[in-house]
This record gives sequence, structure tokens and C-alpha cells, in this order.
Amino acid sequence: MASQNKPKLLWLQSITCNGNTHSFLNHPDLFFILSHFEVVHHPVLDSSYSMEDVIAGIVPCDILILEGSFQEEGFLKSGVEVSSIIKHYANKAKHIISVGTCATFGGIFKQKNPEAISGFCFNAEEKTERYNAYASKLISLPGCPMHPKWLSYVLLMISGKKDIPIDNLHRPVELYGYTVHMGCTRNEYFEWKIDTKTFGLKEGCLFYETGCRGPYTRGSCNKILWNDINSKTRAGTPCFGCTEPNYPQESFFETKTNMGIPDKMPLGVSKRAYLTLTSVAKSFTIKRFSERLMEYDK
Amino acid sequence: MNNITVKKLIEKIEGEAELDFTFNQGEIEDVKINFGFYRGIEEILRGHDAWDALVITPRVCGICNHAHLLAAVRAIENGYENSGLKVNLTSKAKAIREFTLSCELIQNHIKWLYMTIFPHFEKFVGAVSEENYAMKATYLASTITKALAVFSGQWPHASYAIPGGVTCDPTHLDVMQAQSLVDESIKFFEEVVIGLSIDDYLAMESVSSFDKIQGDFGKLLRLMIVNDMGNKGYSHDRFIVFGESVLSKPGRSIITNVTNVDISCVIENEQKGTVSKAVTYKDKFYEVGPLARGMVAKTPIVRSLHKRFKDSVLSRVFARIHEVALLLDYSKSLLNKLQLDEPSCVLKSDVRLTDFDGIGTVEAARGSLIHKTTVRDGVITNYDIITPTQWNLGNSKAVDQGIAIEAMIGSSSIEEATFIFRTFDVCSVCTTQ
Ligand code: SF4
Ligand code: SF4
Repeated sequence: MASQNKPKLLWLQSITCNGNTHSFLNHPDLFFILSHFEVVHHPVLDSSYSMEDVIAGIVPCDILILEGSFQEEGFLKSGVEVSSIIKHYANKAKHIISVGTCATFGGIFKQKNPEAISGFCFNAEEKTERYNAYASKLISLPGCPMHPKWLSYVLLMISGKKDIPIDNLHRPVELYGYTVHMGCTRNEYFEWKIDTKTFGLKEGCLFYETGCRGPYTRGSCNKILWNDINSKTRAGTPCFGCTEPNYPQESFFETKTNMGIPDKMPLGVSKRAYLTLTSVAKSFTIKRFSERLMEYDK
Repeated sequence: MNNITVKKLIEKIEGEAELDFTFNQGEIEDVKINFGFYRGIEEILRGHDAWDALVITPRVCGICNHAHLLAAVRAIENGYENSGLKVNLTSKAKAIREFTLSCELIQNHIKWLYMTIFPHFEKFVGAVSEENYAMKATYLASTITKALAVFSGQWPHASYAIPGGVTCDPTHLDVMQAQSLVDESIKFFEEVVIGLSIDDYLAMESVSSFDKIQGDFGKLLRLMIVNDMGNKGYSHDRFIVFGESVLSKPGRSIITNVTNVDISCVIENEQKGTVSKAVTYKDKFYEVGPLARGMVAKTPIVRSLHKRFKDSVLSRVFARIHEVALLLDYSKSLLNKLQLDEPSCVLKSDVRLTDFDGIGTVEAARGSLIHKTTVRDGVITNYDIITPTQWNLGNSKAVDQGIAIEAMIGSSSIEEATFIFRTFDVCSVCTTQ
């Protein structure tokens, strides 16, 4: 096998739940994608070097995949600071992909110690002191976890030697140009301002009362479906905004409102535009939206 | 004294662990298990809204996140009941929750078989094959988690179970999709894993019919028997189960004698040198997980195996893969009986109690998982998570050796001992939360 010529892929874990690892294992074309690379190390898949080699710093690395939040001091593997292992390979690599919100912005585990724990190049939305050193080769794939196809897109673009257009937080625009709201099956209810009110129904939107952050969360969950089949909002669960720099926030199943108006507006929409539209939409009562989508016993 | 201690980093488990082996005259006399990093999920939860546990606790673990979700939702429902609000789930919501949990156990066990046991056992006994085991693992795991996602929206890290039921509202079309994914998984299991029909497999009640098992599982069992795995890895022969499931009722089994359990006898202790806490029941270590469930439920084939091979590596490995067959069969029947016209959720979304104490237990892939929540003024003031791996991987105390440690003691090589260690389906992230 000409594996020597393939780009060398190193998957390194920091403070994590392994969720991105398991998310990626669900990719239907996993082994086709990996066939473009030599997997030098991976947390669970068979790979050419051991963790001890990785720690010793002797592993070749073209593409570094980082999973988990970053902490400069106090997180060790075999007595070695993980931060120094990460930096060693980040210096070597031609591409760095931060998979998941933890590696990108800090995520859930940042909450334990917000002063010390962050993403590798971002601390929530702020750039860390490492940003300048690595910005030219950095791709961000936030998500808790990231979607397997988001990673395969980046990997195949790299192996095809194509440029990946990114935004100011280094997220690929083809993946994060959408909001989660786009493509949700509840869109009509959103338009007419009708909340589901009770969980467990296919009717109704979850934005007004039940906590959905889809309209101001960047991500393609309702375009590139999860497990090729579904999404949170389609299954009646509010979007928790897990791809965002400030994730996780509070009260996931409730919408914070101010005099009945949601505190946070859909991305780029002014309060005035929102209120104008709302008053028009609410002035009509549309029978279809007060009924079940399908009646079984008629 | 000629004791030597050897340190070993164990990787390609869920996360990593460091083991210190102490040898005495060529035999392992003691082992210390160290897990690196405490992530502090319990602390993170304090100050959050009670329901936020449904989103945050699944992030304890990427491979058993769904079990954490269900433990979290049961803890809230139990708390509501303790405060006077009885939550009567519909049979539909119950069945959907059981279905999704079964799917998660199946993906876990199958990944463990093909990505942990096969490659490491073959390496250990020097019989390495060229097979792409990971491909088999991920094929079945991704098929069954797709069936899970029909209801939960996604896997990993869904939060679709909420106090009062589930958020999804499936149609017959959805159920059909899930059904064909389960059928596909069964077909793969029959053709590749066991080499016979699942009905014939489940009809077996004794070790004497082991010859019928073909496929990869048959191959593994024979390789294990030849390599004396029926005589290795004995622990204390004490088992415990706290969660109620199709696999087992709660109870504990000592040798073969099964009695009741009382959750208030569970004690967590800090341990020196590692961030994981050890857990005991009435001051003794108990094994949790598939072998425990098989022993407490008195599953005939597990009992028959145990009679001959006790709590050995062979019994432990068999019991876990056996659950895949039981769960595939069970998930199929759950879908067949699903009453779609019942409500998915019996509580309105604005019904929220603000002061309660609740306990939720679940049988996760690796054993009993316990969540305890204390909520005041709608906010979590204390949260306690006891994971299955804390039971199995605790370090020894003066009176009692830890479960996995007892199983490793007496081994003559590190290779053998680390393989025994892996048969417990080690998960460092759960152990250290
Ligand atoms: S549920 Fe969320 S994503 Fe769906 S339409 Fe409503 S706001 Fe948008
Ligand atoms: S729907 Fe929202 S919370 Fe769910 S994965 Fe997508 S961005 Fe994250």
C-alpha cells in the first residue's frame, strides 16, 4: 500500500466525553473516507502508532484533529501535560481541525473552570493567545458533538487539495452558513407564531415558549440530517444551540421572554422587524394550524 | 522483598487508564488503577435549572450518553413523585424509551466485541487475523443508532426524554423505518456474529449447545476456551443490579444466591491517587454489568456457563454478547406493540416542580447507573452520579480487593492482566465524570 504518500491523520483527545469520536464512527462511508489517509493515531480505531509514541512526540502528523477542551496546566497523560503534546503536533501539522464545541470554544467542560479551560484557538468567541500561531491552518467544527458529515466534508476537501471557505470563527461556510432553523419541519408554525406548548407533538414550533435556539444557531442539522434520518427539532426537542461559542447556556427547555417577546431574535432580525411581522401574523387565526396534522379516526 | 512495580498506559478503551502492576515472584500481587482527569459534571450542574441535567449529563460519556439521559429524567420524575406529583407515563413513552436504550446497549456491546475484545485477544494469543473488525462494528452500530435516532432525533447526545414522556410523535412510517433497521441489524447479527438464527440461538439454555454457535462469536468462544479463558479473571462472584429492565430485576447475587437490594446501602468513597471514587454496597465491592444482570435474572445459559466457568473472562464476555441477542429480539417486539395513538408526554411543558429530591437508576451498557438530584427553587443544588465503571474499577480497600483488581491478581503477565481488564468494558470518562 502506498500509505506513505497519504496525508497522516492524528486524532488527539483532550478534556472530552468522546462524543465526537463516536459521532464520526457513525459515518456511513467511514472507511472510504479514511482510505485517503494514514491514520497514525486514533482513540479507538486501529492505528500505526501507540499513545505512548504520541506522547513521546515521534509520530508524523499532517492533519491534526483535536477533540476536547484545552487546559494549559494540570491535565496529564503518562505524566506529560496534554497541552504540550497538542502544541507539539499543532506545530507540525499542515491542518488543524477542532472537532466539537469543546475543542473549538471550550464547551461544556469549560464551565468547570472558565478561567483555565477554553477551546484551543478560541475562548468562547475571543481569540486565545495561540490563535495567531495556528490561524492559517485552523478549521473549526463546533457542535456537541459535531456531525460526522461535517468532518468528512473537511477531510475530503483537504485530500482533494481544495480550499475550504470559512467565516471569521474558521467554520466552513458550506456547513455553518445555514441556521438550524432552515429545513425544520416546524417552519410553518414558526411563521404564524404558534408554539407547540406541550412536548410530544409534531405540530407547533418550539421557539416561542419551549426553548428552541434554531433561528439563531449556525449549523446544518436540518439540512444534513443526523444519523441520515432526523434532527432534534424534527423529533420535538428544542435546539440547544450547541454549535455556538457561548454554549452551554441556561434553561434549555424554556424560552426567556420579556413581556411575551423572546429575548433573542432570529439571526440578523431586528426587534422592530420581528414585532411588525408578529402583529400581522397574530392578527389572523388559521384553522389548519390549530388542528392535528393528520387525523387517524375520521 | 523482590516486589517490582510496572506502570502501563492502557489506551483504546473509552479514554485511557494507567495501571501500576506489582509483581511478586512472577505473579501479579496487586494493581492500582488510575484515571487521569476529573471533569466535574456534578459541579457544573449546580446552579442550573433542574431540566438542564437532561442536556448536560449525557456529556458525561459519548458512548453511553443515552443511559445518562434516562437516569436524569427518571431522577426528576422520581423527585416529582416524592413531592406529590405522580407521573404516569403512557405505555408508548415507556416503550420508546426502552427501545432507544436497548439500541444504545447494542451499539456499545458490538463495538466492544469487535474493537476491544477481538483485536486485543488475537494480539494476546498471537492469532492476529487480517479482518477489518472495526468495519463490522461500525456497520451494526450505525444501523442500530439510526433506528434510535428515528425517535430521539440523533445519537450521540439527544435529550428527547423529558419528565412525562418523550418529545417525539412518531408515525407508522417512522416506526416502519425503525423496524427495518432493526431487521437489518438482526440479519447482520445472525449471519456474521452468531452464524445461526436468533430464535435458535435464544432457545439454547446450556453450555452443552455452544457448538451450535458459529460466526465470529463462535470463533471467539472457541479461541477463548482453547486459551483457558474459562479459568482466568475470577473475581469475587458477587453481583449487583439496581435498575429495572427486561434484562434483569434489581437484586444481588452472591455465588448463586439472589436477594434484594436497598439503594441506601450504597456508599461512595474518595480514593487516593485517582480522581474516580470507589463504590461499595454494605462495605463490599460488587460487579455490575451484563454478567451481573445474567446472574441476578438467573438467565439459564448464563447460569449454566457460570456453573462451569464461574465469573471468569469467558463468562463475562459471553454474558455481554448474549445481551445483544436478547435486546435485538426485545426491541423488535417493542416496536410491534407500540400504541401510536397514546400521548407521547403526559405533562404540559409548563408543569415544573421547584423543590424535590429524586433518584434515577438505569441499566446502562456497563451496569447500574444512578443519578441523584436535589432541586430547590427550581435550581439544582446537588447532583450525584454513580457510574457502572466506578463499581467495577474501584481500587482495593483494606478489607476487600476491587472487582477488576481481584480478577487481575494472580496473572503472570501484563498482557494477560490488561486483557482481563478490558473484559470489564472500561470507560475512563464515566469513571471520572
Ligand atoms: S422548532 Fe426551532 S428550528 Fe424548528 S421551526 Fe421552530 S424555531 Fe425553527
Ligand atoms: S439541533 Fe442545535 S443543539 Fe442539536 S445538534 Fe444541531 S445545533 Fe446542536
